[in-house]
Amino acid sequence: MSHRMDSPLAYPHTNCHPDRSIPFPKGMECGVEGPAVAANLSRSRRFFTPMNSLGTIFAAIALLALAFGSAQAQKPASASLTADLPAGPVQAKATTVCLECHEARIILQQRLSKAAWTKEVDKMTKWGALVDPADRDALIDYLSANFSPDKPPYDPQRTAGSGKSSK
Amino acid sequence: MNSRRDFLKHVSAAALAAGVTPSLLTWALPQDQSVDFPGEDGMVLRSFRFVDLEAPVAYFNTWLTPIPHFFVRNHMFEPVQLDAQDWRLSLGGEVDKPLTLSLAELSKLEAHSVVNTLECAGNGRSLHRPQVPGIQWGKGAVSTARFSGPRLRDLLQRAGVKPTGKHVMFRGLDEVPGKVPPFIRSIPIEKALDADTLIATHMNGSPLTKHHGFPARALVPGWIGAASCKWLTEIKLLENEFAGNFMNPAYRFPNQPGKPGEAIKPEDTHPLTALSVKSVIAGPSDGSTVKAGKLSIHGAAWAGEADIAKVEISTDAGATWTPAKLGHDQAHYAWRLWTYEWKGAKSGDYSILSRATDTQGRTQPATPVWNPSGYLYNAIDEVKIHVA
Repeated sequence: MSHRMDSPLAYPHTNCHPDRSIPFPKGMECGVEGPAVAANLSRSRRFFTPMNSLGTIFAAIALLALAFGSAQAQKPASASLTADLPAGPVQAKATTVCLECHEARIILQQRLSKAAWTKEVDKMTKWGALVDPADRDALIDYLSANFSPDKPPYDPQRTAGSGKSSK
Repeated sequence: MNSRRDFLKHVSAAALAAGVTPSLLTWALPQDQSVDFPGEDGMVLRSFRFVDLEAPVAYFNTWLTPIPHFFVRNHMFEPVQLDAQDWRLSLGGEVDKPLTLSLAELSKLEAHSVVNTLECAGNGRSLHRPQVPGIQWGKGAVSTARFSGPRLRDLLQRAGVKPTGKHVMFRGLDEVPGKVPPFIRSIPIEKALDADTLIATHMNGSPLTKHHGFPARALVPGWIGAASCKWLTEIKLLENEFAGNFMNPAYRFPNQPGKPGEAIKPEDTHPLTALSVKSVIAGPSDGSTVKAGKLSIHGAAWAGEADIAKVEISTDAGATWTPAKLGHDQAHYAWRLWTYEWKGAKSGDYSILSRATDTQGRTQPATPVWNPSGYLYNAIDEVKIHVA
């Protein structure tokens, strides 16, 4: 196990990214992604045992450090770094399965038919997404229902800065 | 072994223990606010974990794009550790003398500069109908910089390419998520031996930034961005085109235009190489309201390995066309800025069009060639404006 030591919130090894920690700009570490954390809250009760309490203490310290850091930074112009997948019967599973490797924005910006979503889900499964075969159809239905061609266009965020043209 | 999920469990449990609500963790701030991203100025955020940043078209008003305004396309994670001291570039395969070079050794080779317009093959993907999967680029996955570094052919000559070395493979240090195939592609030896194909170490006179492939990237001018492999670490001479996901089925184009939405057989496709002819209107912006009278319409036009011959503008939805004035800055692989002074714009609603033609006789079509991955969108550009 190895963590990045230059940040209080190290990003641990994952199935998705087996060898090294993930490069995030300072303060934007993957391990504190909002939706993934939220989705895991219900599961956490089940898994909260003395066996992993050390990890919990570590995380609590990290979390407090984050909270203080955020409060002190006071950057009202900075929005959330992550986005949630929409509510639905497989939101939590989709969050776990898809956002292991990429963020929600990759999904939020798509407008695809059910046939196209089927291809995407099968491709991602081939590429390592841990889709339980029993969940495949529900996942495709969820994505097709929320991100179909008739939905309004995705409105992307901008990075901070002048936002002015180059001259 | 720890895992990210374990860690999240810990964070979650800690949150409960500390009485922190999930809403704090989701940092539920309004979506329309901007995201801090050091070194990147006002860019459209397509993806954060795999960095994908698009330039607003309003930025197409300088011939060379400042680095904070240069689009970024990553397929996967950027390398975590990139120490200039430890970095090596190997050159092997079908060569007489395989080489390994440090950055210091590479820097000693004679450097050349090429001003190149780099465009992602998927630029404009979101405009295809029916819509196709992938990063939903608008019009801004394209930028121009002066790239500098040794010629690839100088390295190839030093290593001595065998007659069997027909394709040149590039491998980058991108970090692969899950079982995604590694980012490896190849170019034919003829393009590799071109005097303008570089191992670029600099952009606009400064060392490459991390997002742009530090310490070295391939620069295959006039070709799709994916040819110009970032974080280059291995060059290998092959007898055949590299066989891998990013050569096939990715980055291929139909041999003949098909019906939009229709499946295309793999054998009816070829690898993407040079960019198409294209122009984009940088201003006025789509949906804007402008004052009546004199109006400057401006933008950029490029054509991959060809030069721009002309850009024409229509202010009447395509009924009549008038040539725009091409900017004085030019280089073989670089875009031309253009302007058109529209005198006497009267109040009303207008569809403004731009249409580029290149020195190979190619002209932007009214409708793009639809393809399942949404590559090479190059339809005549349009903005709708209201003149008050």
